[in-house]
Amino acid sequence: MTIEIPQSFWLYFTFFALLLVDGLWCMLATHNLVRILIGLEILMKSVTFFLIVAGYLSGRMALAQALVITVIVIEVVVVVVVAGVILGFFRKHDSLDVENTRSMKG
Amino acid sequence: MSHLLLLVPFLAVVVLNLLPKRARGAALWVSFGVLGLEAAAAFVERFSSIDSSAFTWLESVFGFRLAADHLSGLAMLCAGIVGMVALLVARRTLKDAGEKFFFANLVLVALVGINGIAMVRDLFSLYVFVEVTAIATFILITASRSGAASRGEQVFEGAWKYIILSVVASVLMLTSIGFFLLSAGDITFDAVKTALGAPGSLTWVAMALFLCGLFVKGGLVPFHGWLADAYTAAPAPVSVFMAGIVTKASGIFALLRIVSSTMGSALPGREILLVVGALTIVVGAFLALGQSNMKRMLAYSSVSQMGYIVLALGGDLNLGILAAGLHFFNHAISKSQLFANAAAIEEQLGTLNMDEMGGIGARMPVTAGTTAVATLSIAGLPPLAGFWSKLLIVLALWNAKEYGFAAVAILASLVTLAYFLSLQRRVFFGKTHPKWAHVKEAAPGLLVPVVALALITIALGVGFPFALRVLLGGGA
Repeated sequence: MTIEIPQSFWLYFTFFALLLVDGLWCMLATHNLVRILIGLEILMKSVTFFLIVAGYLSGRMALAQALVITVIVIEVVVVVVVAGVILGFFRKHDSLDVENTRSMKG
Repeated sequence: MSHLLLLVPFLAVVVLNLLPKRARGAALWVSFGVLGLEAAAAFVERFSSIDSSAFTWLESVFGFRLAADHLSGLAMLCAGIVGMVALLVARRTLKDAGEKFFFANLVLVALVGINGIAMVRDLFSLYVFVEVTAIATFILITASRSGAASRGEQVFEGAWKYIILSVVASVLMLTSIGFFLLSAGDITFDAVKTALGAPGSLTWVAMALFLCGLFVKGGLVPFHGWLADAYTAAPAPVSVFMAGIVTKASGIFALLRIVSSTMGSALPGREILLVVGALTIVVGAFLALGQSNMKRMLAYSSVSQMGYIVLALGGDLNLGILAAGLHFFNHAISKSQLFANAAAIEEQLGTLNMDEMGGIGARMPVTAGTTAVATLSIAGLPPLAGFWSKLLIVLALWNAKEYGFAAVAILASLVTLAYFLSLQRRVFFGKTHPKWAHVKEAAPGLLVPVVALALITIALGVGFPFALRVLLGGGA
């Protein structure tokens, strides 16, 4: 089964790509752990958006809805764990600098 | 029947947390029992495939289809054995009762994920279970304070790298799922297989993205950066569990599943697998050669061996999957044993730096002997189990006329032997350093699992023709 991809897809896709690049930039251009977490969130949001678009264009809205809700739940759990790890870093080093994550090498 | 494998560990977690605080010491044993059942269930699924109608109501509760086949049985058997070993190691090495309780719980949660990975039939559920396993593991790495003092500094660092790369992998996989929705209209393995049969550019982009996601999860070169740090930072039983089954199930087994149920033979996807596999083998082996921390060397050795499995998948399809499955099993057994040995050494010596060791073999003969068995098996010396799976991998490549890659597989075996011999020499051979003159053999609680695993390696190696007949007779 193949689905004709309408022209509007590329509009959505551009937005998705922009959001993705935004998230990546946010992660790479900072030394602050919390900002990296925010970047991760933007990345996940872009993908969530893309799933909705994919569901809409392929006519599988119900499926996409189930997927997106599951993704959001997983995302929340990941955020909690990441925030916990950041808290651990902060308690140990009293700073949020990513340099603290580079003691192991080789 | 299949859904019970998800429900039982889950209910066990619920029950454990309802127990009064005094009874929590039993958690390790409850968890141990569940893992034992898991290992036993692998054989039930394998030999009779009960999917009795009494459980159909369960299927209606879960919104997705599960199906157990030989590959699932393999993953479940590995998960059961490795999990039991990890729990035995935890019993000795984790000092705090609370930590033991958390460990037992999180192993069960990870087990839900692993069972799911073993049995799912669509890409999205695969992603969900990979994520369940990963999240349980993130917490496992960070939740312990036991072990060397220097490690306390590193747990967050190891977990951080693992989490960040995991999220990137999730993004890749979810994007791929979106592309599959667009190109195939559905995300079940069957729909994906049909879509791959009539290749369009979108489908291949989607497949490549999903494979990249799994490469990250499995720690394959060029995405191997997180693996050694996470293994080294993790407490001893967690390293055993991660190296033995978590990384394998969520990266390599998922790959095995996707290749076996969505890709046919002679597709361009094979080239990706061959190149990444060969690269991983070589880079991993040379990185292992340069390590002086024992766990770090074992971690890079894991990277290298995962490369063999991926390389096998790029070979002749049926033989390749059989070889990959066998190497999966052998490596799960041997590598979890080696990490358990490392735990014993750390427990007795208080360090994992191999440059400080030497001549430990005379003081810890059982640990030395079992380590020798596991290292030689992974290096592929006959008649140990690892020899047969490597032989099958080379044969699978030979059948597919990939002679160059077969040569890489054979030559890299020599590097494997080299770094493991260097490990043996630096840790066990030679004159005992006066500093270690009073070191004793590890406690029986740590020796029982490693001896059992070494016996499995030897038995499977010697009885391999019989084991192969059982596997083939089962229609693998």
